[in-house]
Amino acid sequence: MKKEIRTQNAPQPIGPYSQAISTNGGFYFLSGQIPLNAEGKIVDGGIEEQAHQVMNNIKAILTEAGLSFDNIVKTTIFLSDMGNFAVVNSIYGEYFKGMVPPARSAFQVARLPLDVMVEIESIAVAG
Amino acid sequence: MKRFYLLLLITMFPLQSVVAKAANDTLQIFKKEIRTNNAPLPIGPYSQAIVAKGRYVFLSGQIAIRPDGKMVEGGIEEQTRQVFDNLRAVLQASGCDFQNVVKTTVLMKDLNEFSKMNAVYATYFKSEPPARATFQVVRLPKDALIEIEAIAVLPE
Repeated sequence: MKKEIRTQNAPQPIGPYSQAISTNGGFYFLSGQIPLNAEGKIVDGGIEEQAHQVMNNIKAILTEAGLSFDNIVKTTIFLSDMGNFAVVNSIYGEYFKGMVPPARSAFQVARLPLDVMVEIESIAVAG
Repeated sequence: MKRFYLLLLITMFPLQSVVAKAANDTLQIFKKEIRTNNAPLPIGPYSQAIVAKGRYVFLSGQIAIRPDGKMVEGGIEEQTRQVFDNLRAVLQASGCDFQNVVKTTVLMKDLNEFSKMNAVYATYFKSEPPARATFQVVRLPKDALIEIEAIAVLPE
């Protein structure tokens, strides 16, 4: 019924969760990704570096599952500061260039794990 | 002769249903964009909704912007109604309506306004209301008071 997706190219789970879970029906539920590199360290730099790292973590998991950004149907973007939304939006958009973009919600939260500035979770569907 | 035709009919029937299923499978698009002028048009890299596998509708979070792009005037009740107007437009463009919604997430600027929001929300789901999660956030786009996202399922 369900299968764990796991790649060394994205941060390893450090708790009771999987990087992603796929179902028989072809749905892939990806955990929220934060800007850790594959070694588990917060990427250096500011919001741009953090946004790129999050998207690259998502890409690594999609690749492991045999998917691409075009398979993503829905994302949720969590921000520590809505003021960063325009920058995150612009970087996020680069990864969906030339594709029908997924549905999305975005909002500012009080705090994210490890006090990062952005977290993105996503749902993908196999073609 | 009659037996021949009967035999032909019997062998043709399963063939027809196999051909029909194959055609249906290839027509089943795994991802379809929903776009309607009756809800605020996207102003960034997102779609109003995506229909996955021809059945599962993932709606983007809606805030209280009218289709002309202006935030509706008023407080939580007016904003909640506008959000639902936007959701309805997207659901209808997807081929369904509120009774097809299975899950919502309600993001609020101020949870003290929950019961006012809830009273409006309830009027859109008269029976078997969808599953829901509600919480207070620090800030929403355009400093909206409420954002609601939804998942709906189209009938088979």
